Amino acid sequence: MISELLINAFLVTIMLSIAIALIKTRTVIFTVILTSAYSLVAALMFITLDAVDVAFTEASVGAGISTILFLAAMAYLPKKEEESISSEFIPALSCIILGGILIWCSYDLPEIGQFTAPIHQHIAPEYIKGSKEDIGIPNIVTSVLASYRGYDTFGETIVVFTAGVAVLALLQKKDPAKKNKSQPKQKIRKNA
Amino acid sequence: MISSTIGIWNYWIVFCLMMIGLFLVIGRKNFLKKIVGLTIFQTSVFLLYITFGKIKGGTPPILNESIESIYSNPLPHVLILTAIVVGVATTALGLSLVLKINTEYGSIEEDDISAQDLVDYHDDIETGKNVDLKFKQ
Repeated sequence: MISELLINAFLVTIMLSIAIALIKTRTVIFTVILTSAYSLVAALMFITLDAVDVAFTEASVGAGISTILFLAAMAYLPKKEEESISSEFIPALSCIILGGILIWCSYDLPEIGQFTAPIHQHIAPEYIKGSKEDIGIPNIVTSVLASYRGYDTFGETIVVFTAGVAVLALLQKKDPAKKNKSQPKQKIRKNA
Repeated sequence: MISSTIGIWNYWIVFCLMMIGLFLVIGRKNFLKKIVGLTIFQTSVFLLYITFGKIKGGTPPILNESIESIYSNPLPHVLILTAIVVGVATTALGLSLVLKINTEYGSIEEDDISAQDLVDYHDDIETGKNVDLKFKQ
C-alpha cells in the first residue's frame, strides 16, 4: 500500500521538476516539449490513482492534440521568448504567499485514500451500486458520463462547439479584394 | 510521521504546481508562455481532483463480479474527463487569439504591444484625430 503512495510521490515530484524547467526555459520549442512531457507524466499519475479513463484521455488529448496545436501555432510565432523589462518580483511574491496559505490549509484535508473521506460518502456509492441494474455497463465512469450526468456532457459538447466556431472566426483569412477597402478600418481597430 | 507526510505530499506538490502555473500566467509577458501556464494550472487541478477520488487498495471503477473489490470514486473521474476536453478547447481558442495578435502587432510580447499602443495614441493626439476615450485617464 505504501509503495503505491511512494510511486505517486515520485511521479508528482517529476512533474514539479518539469514545471520548474518550464519557468527557466526561454526557447519556445523546449516549452512545447516540456508541456507535452508534463501531460504524459500526469497521465501516468492518473493510472496509479485508479483513473484509467482519465489517463488515456489525458495522454491522447492533453499530450497529443494540445502539443499538435502548440506546434502548429509555433510555426507562425517568434521562436524565442524575450526577457521582460518589468520586474517579476511582485507576481512571484503573491504566488509564494498564496501557495503558502494553500499548503497550510492542506493539513485539514483528508489523507490520500481514506475511505472515510467526505467525498466517498455522498453519491458515488449509489452510482457504483446502481450502474449494473440501471444502465448495464460494467464501466462506471462511462455510465455516469453518458447517463447519470448526461446533461454535463451535453454542455461540454456545446462549449467545444462554441470554441471551434470562435477559432474558425478568428483564423478566417480575409478576402483579398475586400482587404484594400478595409485597410483604414484596420488601423483604427489597432488603436482600440 | 513518514506515512502521514506521504499522505499529504501530493497536495503540497499539486499546490506548488498550481502556483507555478499562476506565476507563468501573471508573471511572464510572453503570450504563448501564459497559455502554457494555463495548461499547467489546469493539469494540476485535475491531479487534485483525482487524488481526492482515490481509495486505498481500491481498483479502477470497472465492475468485476469475479473478485470482491473496492472501487475508487468514479465521480471525479467523470468531471475531469469533461474538463480535459474543455481545457483543450480553451487552449485552441487562446492560441488562435495569440496568432491574431501576432499578425496585427508583429509581436507576442506584452511590453512591445503596450509600447506600440502608446505610440499610436500619441500619434493620434498630434494629428488631432478623435482619441479613443479608453486611453484617457
